Amino acid sequence: MDNKILTGHLAKAPRSSWKAWLGVVPFFIFAILFLLLPSVRLFIGSFTDNSGKFTLENIIQLFTQKTILDAYKVSIQISAVTALAGGIFGFMLAYSVTVGGLPKPLRSALITFSGVASNFAGVPLAFAFVATLGRTGFITAILKNVFHLNIYQSGFTLYGFIGLCLTYMYFQFPLMVLVMAPALDGLKKEWKEAALNLGANNLQYWLKVAMPVLLPSILGSMILLFGNSFGAYATAYALTGGQLPIVTILIGAQIRGDVLHNPGLGYSLAMGMVIIMAVSLGFYSWLQGWTERWLK
Amino acid sequence: MNLISKARKISIWSWFWFILGVLYYVLPLYATLVFSLQMERGVVSFKAYESAFADPEFWRTFSYSIFLAVMTIIVSITLVVPTAYWIRLKLPEARRIVEFITLMPFVVPAIILVFGLIRIYSFPVVIPFTSIQIIPPLTNFKVGTNILIIAGYIVLGLPYMYRSVDTGMRTVDVRTLTEAAQAMGANWGTIITKVILPNVRTALLSGALLTFAIVVGEVILASFLGVPAFGPYLFLLGQHRAYEPAALSFTTFLLTWAAMGIIQLVTGGQGQTTGAH
Amino acid sequence: MRTNKFVLPIFVVFVIFATALTACGPAATAVPTEAPTAAPTEAPVDPMAELVVAAQAEGNLTTIALPHDWCNYGEAIQAYKDKYGIAVNELLPDGSSGEEIEAIKANKDNTGPQAPDVVDVGLSFGPTSAAEGLLMPYKVSTWDTIPDSAKDKDGYWYGDYFGVMAFQVNTDVATSVPADWADLLKPEFNGQVALSGDPRLSNQAIQAVFASALANGGSLDNAQPGLDFFKAMNAAGNLVPLIGNNGLVAKGEIAVRITWDYNGLAGNDGFAGNPKSTLVIPATGRFAGMYVQAISAYAPHPNAAKLWMEFLYSDEGQIYWMKGYCHPIREADLRTRGVIPADLLAKIPDITGAVFPSLDQLNAAKALITGDWDKVVGANIQAAP
Repeated sequence: MDNKILTGHLAKAPRSSWKAWLGVVPFFIFAILFLLLPSVRLFIGSFTDNSGKFTLENIIQLFTQKTILDAYKVSIQISAVTALAGGIFGFMLAYSVTVGGLPKPLRSALITFSGVASNFAGVPLAFAFVATLGRTGFITAILKNVFHLNIYQSGFTLYGFIGLCLTYMYFQFPLMVLVMAPALDGLKKEWKEAALNLGANNLQYWLKVAMPVLLPSILGSMILLFGNSFGAYATAYALTGGQLPIVTILIGAQIRGDVLHNPGLGYSLAMGMVIIMAVSLGFYSWLQGWTERWLK
Repeated sequence: MNLISKARKISIWSWFWFILGVLYYVLPLYATLVFSLQMERGVVSFKAYESAFADPEFWRTFSYSIFLAVMTIIVSITLVVPTAYWIRLKLPEARRIVEFITLMPFVVPAIILVFGLIRIYSFPVVIPFTSIQIIPPLTNFKVGTNILIIAGYIVLGLPYMYRSVDTGMRTVDVRTLTEAAQAMGANWGTIITKVILPNVRTALLSGALLTFAIVVGEVILASFLGVPAFGPYLFLLGQHRAYEPAALSFTTFLLTWAAMGIIQLVTGGQGQTTGAH
Repeated sequence: MRTNKFVLPIFVVFVIFATALTACGPAATAVPTEAPTAAPTEAPVDPMAELVVAAQAEGNLTTIALPHDWCNYGEAIQAYKDKYGIAVNELLPDGSSGEEIEAIKANKDNTGPQAPDVVDVGLSFGPTSAAEGLLMPYKVSTWDTIPDSAKDKDGYWYGDYFGVMAFQVNTDVATSVPADWADLLKPEFNGQVALSGDPRLSNQAIQAVFASALANGGSLDNAQPGLDFFKAMNAAGNLVPLIGNNGLVAKGEIAVRITWDYNGLAGNDGFAGNPKSTLVIPATGRFAGMYVQAISAYAPHPNAAKLWMEFLYSDEGQIYWMKGYCHPIREADLRTRGVIPADLLAKIPDITGAVFPSLDQLNAAKALITGDWDKVVGANIQAAP
C-alpha cells in the first residue's frame, strides 16, 4: 500500500470559504449514507439490549461466551499464522527480485502475478485448492504416487486449519510482495557500500543497517496481512461450507438468522472485528510512516 | 570477496525463493486447468467448458454481474473524479478526511458492511425527531436492493478508485490545465468532462478494471442481499457439479489476469493490490 | 501518527451522529409485527382464475433452499415461470430446513427479495413453525387427496414428497461398496463418509442420524443409538466433518454421502459415468422421510405463493417431482387415476415396506439429535492445537 496516501502533504493553503466545501458534498453524503451510517448502526447496536436500553452486557458476553471466544481464537490463529508465513515468504520473494538481483522481466512478471493472485480470493480460489490439495487433488496424487506420502492418511485435511492457512497464503504473500518491493527498492546501495568500506561483512550489513530500517515496514505489512486474513469470509465459506468456527462466518450466520439469540451480541461481534481491523490498519500506517523516513 | 561473486551467491537463494513462489502461484491454477479438462472419462476435452457456457443461468448471472460492475464504475467515477479534482484544486484541507474515508473500507470488511447495510436499510430512514421518510426501506424492493448493492460495491472499490484517480491527477498538473481552460472561457462542466477526464484516462481505466475484477467475483454482498449475481451462482455450481466449477474458476482467473495485465500495461508497472474477499 | 489532527473532530462528529440516531433512529431490534393473516380456505373451481390474476399482479415469487436437482425442482420452477409469467427469486439454494425458518424470522418486516414466500422443510419443522406463528394456512384445491397423516388439519403445512435414506457412493474412489450402516465403521472408509447437512439444522442430516439408530439397536422411539453410531464413526475417523453435497462426491472428496435416495439418484444421473457411482439402500431397512410445504406468514407475495402451491399439488406438479425420483404425496391418487407415465412408473425407486416415523417420534428424535449432537459426537472442525 502506498504510504503517500496516509502521510499526505502538509498543505499550507489558506482556509477556503465554506462554498468550496460544496464540491465535496456529494462524496460526503455518499460516505455518510453507505459507510458511516451502517458502521454507526452496528456501533450503537452493540450497546443496546433487546428492549432498546443501553447495556454493556453485549460487550461483556464477547469475552465470556464460549462460541464467540472460540471463534475469535481460531480467527486470530489463522490470521497470525498466515501473516507470519505469508510475510516471510513474501519478503523473501520481494527480496529475490529487488536486492537479490534477478533480471527485470522476472520482476515485472512477479509484480503482475502478485496483483492477480492477491485478487484471486473467494470461491474460485477454494475450488482451485480443492483441485490441488483435495483428497483427489493434483498434489495429493503426486505425493502419493511419486513420493509415497499419503497426506490424508497422516491426518491432513484441506478443510481444517492447515488447509485453510495454505489456501489463505495464496493471497497473503502476494500482498506482502506488492508492499515490500517498493520498500526494498528504497534501500540505498550507498549504505551497503559504506558499510562494506567500513569493514562490515554482508551479514553485519543486514543485521545492523538494512533490517533495522526495514523492520517497521515488514512488521507493519505483516499486521496488514493479519487484518486482511481476519476479514476474509468468502474463501473460508466456499472451502468449509460455513463449518469453520471463525468470526466472519459466525457474523454471516448471525445475519441470516439470529444464531446467537441476541441481536446486540451480533453487533458487538461485528464491532470487535472492526476494532481489530482498525488497530491493524493503524499500526500498519504508523510503522510504514516510520520506514518512509529512511527510504525517502 | 568482490561484488560480482557476492552477487552470484545471493542469486542462488534468490532463484530458490523465486522458483518456490512461481510454483505456489502456478500449481493451483494448473491443477484447476487439468481437472477442468477431465470431464469426459479418460479423455482430455473441453466438455466442462462447453457445459458451463451452455447453462443459461450462467449467462443470466454473469451478465447481471457485468451490469452491476458497469453501474458501479460509472457512479464511482462520477463520485470520485470531481471530489479528487476539487480537493487537489480548491480544498487541500479536506484531503485528510477524504483519505481517511477511503481507508475505512479496509477496516470495515464486506461481511460487516453488508451486516450494517441490511440492518439500516430494511427500515426507512427518517429525519431525526420527525417521521418524515427520506429513504424508504431499500431492501423491500428490487430496485432498492440494486441500489444498495451498487453502493456497497462502490464502497468496496473506493480505496482503489480514489487512489488511482488521485495518483493520476498528481502526475497531470490539474492546476495549470484548469487555469488554461478557464482562460479560454470554459465552464466547470466542460473543464471536468473535456479537459480533466481525458487526461486521467489511464487512472480511470486502472480503477475501472480493478472495480470490475472485484464486482464480478463478489459473493458476500450478493448472497446476503439476495441478488442473482455470478459469485453466488459459482458457489452453488460447486455444490452440485465438479468439472464445470473448475472450468469457470479457471476462466475467472484468466479474466482477472487480463484485467491486471492491462492495468500493468497502462500504468507502466505500478500494479495495485486488493485484499481478501 | 500523522492523521492525528483529524481524529478528534471526526470522533466528535461520530458521537454527535450516534446520539442523534439513538434518540430517534430505527429500533435496535425488530419491530413487533401484526399477527399472521389467515387466508380464507379456497373452494376449488373459479377462485383459481382470480388467484392467477392476483399472483401475476404481484409478479414475483421468492423461494428458498430449492436446489434444482432436488426432486427436479429446476424443471418445476421453470415450468411455473413459463406458465404464469411470474419471476422466481431463488434464495439460498443449499439452505437447510433450519435456515429456511430462520430466514422467515429474520425477514419479518422485510417485503423485499430477501424474504422467502414459501418453504419446503422437514416434517418435524412444520408444527413447530406453525406454533411460532411463522406460517400462513392455505388448503390447495386438491387438498382432499392428500393423506390425513401428512397434513395439518388447519392447512398450515402439508406433505409434499418422500423418499428413503440411502448412500450415494462414488465407486471410483471408494474401495468397496457399503451394504449397510455397520459397514461405514470399517477402516476402508476412513475419511470417506459424510452427512448431507449439519445435524443441528438440516432435516436430511437429522433423519440420517435417526435412520442409523434403527440399524444399531435403536427404534423409532429411541434415537440415541444413532448418536452413538456417529460418535463411533467420528472417533474412527471415517466421518468427514463437511456438509456432503453432490459436487464433493463428483470431485471424489467424499466417497460415501448419506442422503435421500432421490438426491443420490439424481446426482448419479448427472455424473454421466464420470465418476462411476451407485446408490445403496441400507440392508437393515428403508427409513422414510417426508417434507412439507408451507407459506410464510410474512410472505411478501402471498398470492404468488398460493399459486405456487396449486401448481405443485396439481397432477403436473406432482409428476415433476416424480421425475426427480421423489414419491409425491398424492401418488396413491395419481396411480388410481392412471395419470403417471409408464416410464416414470418404471424409474421411480421401490420403497415398499418403508417405515415412516410419526410426528411425535420425529419431534423426540429431532430434539435429542439437535440438542445432543455437540455433546455426544462433537464433530466440528477445530483449530489445530
